Amino acid sequence: MFDVYKVRQDFPILTQKVNGKPLVYLDNAATSQKPEVVIDAISRYYREYNANIHRGVHTLAERATAGYEGTRERIAKFIGVRNPQEVVFTHGTTEAINLVSYSWGEANLKAGDIVLLTVMEHHSNLVPWQLLAKRKGIKLEFIDVDDEGYLKNAEDMIKKVKPKLFSFAHVSNVLGTINLVKNLIKVAHDVGARVLVDGAQAVPNLPVNVESLGCDFYVFSGHKMLGPTGTGILYAKEEILKGMPPFFGGGEMIKEVFLREASFKDPPHKFEAGTPNISGVIGLGVAVEYLTKIGMENVRKYEEELASYALGELGKVGELTVYGPKDPADRGGVIAFNVEGIHPHDLATVLDQEGIAIRSGHHCAMPLHERLGIGASARASFSLYNTKEEVDALVGAIGEAKKTLRSK
Amino acid sequence: MMDFYREDILDHARNPRNLGKLPNPTLEAHVPNPLCGDVVDLTLVLEGNPPKVIRVGFEADACAISVAAASILTEKIKGKTKKELEKLTEKEVLSWFGGSLTPSRVECALLPLKALREALGE
Repeated sequence: MFDVYKVRQDFPILTQKVNGKPLVYLDNAATSQKPEVVIDAISRYYREYNANIHRGVHTLAERATAGYEGTRERIAKFIGVRNPQEVVFTHGTTEAINLVSYSWGEANLKAGDIVLLTVMEHHSNLVPWQLLAKRKGIKLEFIDVDDEGYLKNAEDMIKKVKPKLFSFAHVSNVLGTINLVKNLIKVAHDVGARVLVDGAQAVPNLPVNVESLGCDFYVFSGHKMLGPTGTGILYAKEEILKGMPPFFGGGEMIKEVFLREASFKDPPHKFEAGTPNISGVIGLGVAVEYLTKIGMENVRKYEEELASYALGELGKVGELTVYGPKDPADRGGVIAFNVEGIHPHDLATVLDQEGIAIRSGHHCAMPLHERLGIGASARASFSLYNTKEEVDALVGAIGEAKKTLRSK
Repeated sequence: MMDFYREDILDHARNPRNLGKLPNPTLEAHVPNPLCGDVVDLTLVLEGNPPKVIRVGFEADACAISVAAASILTEKIKGKTKKELEKLTEKEVLSWFGGSLTPSRVECALLPLKALREALGE
């Protein structure tokens, strides 16, 4: 049985007051808070077994290596991957996508090839491809969204442009839309495309099985799923990883080095040059263990209930527009909205005075805001520790902000 | 309590003074805030010897703090020479808000000053 009040006790940061009011943290799509077990695991690493990994033969190095590699196994299991060697550690989703664009993109795409994206992408799934387009002369095409926030004619578009790569978000970080990943991958594979799925907003909130989805690449961040900042994952099928040239060169990723040439380790280590974020990865392993214990089905069920409640309550506030699908079953725990006549930054500042943390701005999705015909939006995003009472606090404070900020 | 709530500030945000772009301005600037995509357009007409600001107008697709700052700024700079305009400091602009803005909102308050400086060719 999922008990949110019990879960909250695991997160020390949630007990504090901000501006004299209990903290209501609704900026989880930006980064989640961390449970005490994760904070302790990081501290324990530095207190008890701080050492560099993989090459040391002393006891601390062995322990650190086991902790780091143990996370790889946990992550693989968590996202339905049988072979942990298909899991590459990065510093986040952004680095993972850049790794694919530089390494796989440079080796496999040529001038005139098409990379298909969507207008709902985060900047991290747009800019790396724009840079690659400039370097290699590849062409970018985009799937539009409809007024409800769903991808528009996605299948037709895939069949029409026949991309070499189709790269898109599992869950939109603004609209909350859960895209029909499995189906889209199948259609893309039928036209011979490779597929990258940006799971940054999916893995923290939904059960994800990348093998059953059929992804070629799947990327996500550790810090949005209760883990430390500076941790991220690139999953790719082994045969694809093996064919990819290195991204960064340096220590940790080599077999043998001579003055003029070097041979490289097998994946995933080939892509993990230099000393990685050892404490972060160890902390991430504990976060995954924590989420596994609760069960991602339970997390999803609870967050869907919460989002459904929030959509209902926000719907009662006048002159408030919510973006994205109306059906909570089709969306993650992200709700972007605007209150007529109030700039989202001003709303966020007024809510902050009430201890409520929301996001305001373009949420690293400027083209999507352009498409929606708005400059910016306010965004409340949920994690497994948020409550209905917090939704009530949000809705109450929006009502107050309307009184304070709007012309009388 | 933040001074952002002060009635005089809110009044400038709700009923901005000197709203609108001037035709044939002597000086003008269009300045975006890269943090949020907000924009302030400032137009000035200077006349006399030495030239002084006789008319000023602004347009803003921006938050209440930027709009209030622009509104107050346009009131303060009327009748001033270029030299006097150059003396307007960030500190003075922030003092209009009682110096209580959080770091992320300081940028919003300074956007109109940035526009003024760009208009002056600095």
